Amino acid sequence: MSAPVSRAAVVAALLRKELKAYSRDKLYVFLTLLTLIAVVVMFRFLPDSVDETLTLAVSPPLATVIEDARGALSAMGVTPEQLAELDEADLATEEGLELVEFEDPSQMSAVIEGRLEAWRGADGELMLRDLDSGDPKPDGADRVDVSVGIAFPERFVADLTASRKVSVKIYSDAGVPGEIRDAVRGIVREVGYGLAGRGLPVTVPDEETVILGEDRSGDQMTLRQKFRPMIIFMVLLMETFSLVSLVSIEVLQRTVTAVLVTPARISDFLAAKAIFGTLMAFGQGLLVALLVGGFNADNWSLMLTVLLLGAMMFTGAALMIGAAGKDFLGQLFYAMGFTVPMIVPTFAVLFPGTAAPWVKAIPTYPIIELMVRTMDYGATWGDSWSLLSYAAAWLAVLFAGGLLVLRRKVATL
Amino acid sequence: MSPYRILKVLRKDLSLGPRSPFFLYAIVLPFVLTLILQFAFGSLFDPHPRLGVVDLGDSQITAAVEEMEWITLSKPDSAERLKEMVEANDLDAGLILPAGFDDAVRAGDRPELQLFIGGESYASNRLILSVTAIDLIREVEGGESPVTVEVVSFGEAGLPISTRLVPVIVFYALTMAGIFVPGSSLVEEKERGTLMAMLVTPVRIGEVLTAKWVLGTVFAAVMSAVTLALNQALGANWLDVLVVVAVAGALSAMIGLLIGVFSKDSAVLFGVVKGLGIFLFAPALFYIFPDWPQWIARLFPLYWIIEPIWRVSVMGGALSEVWTELAVALAITVGLVPVVALLARRTRAQMAAA
Repeated sequence: MSAPVSRAAVVAALLRKELKAYSRDKLYVFLTLLTLIAVVVMFRFLPDSVDETLTLAVSPPLATVIEDARGALSAMGVTPEQLAELDEADLATEEGLELVEFEDPSQMSAVIEGRLEAWRGADGELMLRDLDSGDPKPDGADRVDVSVGIAFPERFVADLTASRKVSVKIYSDAGVPGEIRDAVRGIVREVGYGLAGRGLPVTVPDEETVILGEDRSGDQMTLRQKFRPMIIFMVLLMETFSLVSLVSIEVLQRTVTAVLVTPARISDFLAAKAIFGTLMAFGQGLLVALLVGGFNADNWSLMLTVLLLGAMMFTGAALMIGAAGKDFLGQLFYAMGFTVPMIVPTFAVLFPGTAAPWVKAIPTYPIIELMVRTMDYGATWGDSWSLLSYAAAWLAVLFAGGLLVLRRKVATL
Repeated sequence: MSPYRILKVLRKDLSLGPRSPFFLYAIVLPFVLTLILQFAFGSLFDPHPRLGVVDLGDSQITAAVEEMEWITLSKPDSAERLKEMVEANDLDAGLILPAGFDDAVRAGDRPELQLFIGGESYASNRLILSVTAIDLIREVEGGESPVTVEVVSFGEAGLPISTRLVPVIVFYALTMAGIFVPGSSLVEEKERGTLMAMLVTPVRIGEVLTAKWVLGTVFAAVMSAVTLALNQALGANWLDVLVVVAVAGALSAMIGLLIGVFSKDSAVLFGVVKGLGIFLFAPALFYIFPDWPQWIARLFPLYWIIEPIWRVSVMGGALSEVWTELAVALAITVGLVPVVALLARRTRAQMAAA
């Protein structure tokens, strides 16, 4: 007669069996590692900055336009105070606008048309590269993408100030979005109104009063930041498939019945599967989260909790799916049927603004939303209670459902 | 090899194949993806500035914004709701037009501009929406602009995102029909023992594999053509397109066969697809992001079939423009044959030993 074994020892033994079975398949382990590495490498290739400015070419340079106007206007007897107002027409100070100034309008149009390339050196000097004549790329310079530009005519300011109508050409690549073309047209017209002495037809309040929410101008969320929670979430989700296969093999090959003739009970089997699945998903999620910079000194405890909730949620679902189906491919079919809707909330993260109500009803919504808020918006425990409760409620449903379905399946074998 | 026996196996696969869930996925996926990517998520890659307007009178500005197809207009119920939406980044900016706004502008009363900008909106969108709002108010003010603007346009408009998403959808059609269907069919035969049963008849393993390859090729070519038609990318040069999708089907089915022969069971099949998925999918991404260095795409095998589909079907090019790509695709297909044969021999030996 052997001494009775504790439940913990049985579960630990089953966990060792799971780990052995998992690591025995070297190819699967290799591919899992390969996927994790590929995901992290791809993450590093994502853009880490946001270009939120509108690049606008002008010719001649604004300083030249204003200087020409000064001479002409002084000759017309305009006062120094009125001349000083010219500086207000300087577009270079406009937020969201990056000016590229060309001496010659024909050069500007050639760049927009694609016959010349514009490059900016480290000292800010603009260089032109003629593609037809085979000019080499300028050293230490960055290419400037110019697709829309304004050609101011000679005497632009002087004519407008003297209430004479002027004509301005805007050169544009056909691929420039309509809203940008319209905005450039609007800018030119508004400069014209201003120089013609026709002030704004409305009163404009101070900027501080019209910005709603935290002003992130210059500090926008990059694509890399947007993808970070999505990548961690996808790693958790992919583990659903792995655990489905671990459960289904036991069920389909009926090895679980062999396990149950040992001192192990169904509850031990379920506990081992649930713990192993959670640890596998959690471990991989944690590794990827660390590699993509998902943790910091302030959010680590909350992030660990969210990762654990996510890992347990997918484990619960995997237990349910693993118990269903008549073969592996059938179970894969169910797993895909389950995971595809679960991915929807991650796409909502990529869109700006609030998710639709039906997206919020999906079990994975609180998990991805918590990740986004924690990693990207610095949410604290205090900010996250309602979402944590919502996630915990879904977790209870899926986990309890998974255990129940698998228990019934095992009992019928 | 006997064409008769290949046909027999193919007929069996055609009659039993539709029972497989992957068959169903391969048929349904192009429709679902077209729906999701083109209609639901199309705006993700090509966003327009989002403006909300609460018009408490009957301003002509609202009507003018409605006609601007490149501004996404929302009309919240109240000023409070509009501010909430701007703050939550559901809108880039919100404009409140009080009753009598247009009359006040025309009368030169200079009413206050109630334009609210979202803190998370891009600087370029802020500029665009502010300038557009002022420009529309100028139109309400009346009077002639002191500046006449002439727009000179060069080149052709860039491709819309709906077009650039076509390679992604075609990729999935090829993967499901060309790779998954023959691959999973072969693995299922191994697991259920029906492959062994077939091999005790006069059918040889090469004939079984050829039948599966033909099934994958035809199925992938048909599903690719259907996907292109669904996305309105099947033009007048449909004969050229058929050649291109046939080559695409041939290569993807050969990859499917390779995975199927290599995988001893469904779990390994899934593991291989999981591991290789990202490498197979990579070239499709380069069509969504044309600014990425395009030479990288050439490193991936499916580039050599997606590029011809793109150029011939989507861009309406001729077959002569893509013969190099097609030749490389066929070379990869032929090059994989000895590898498949080698693995098939191993499989046969394993089955004999079992």
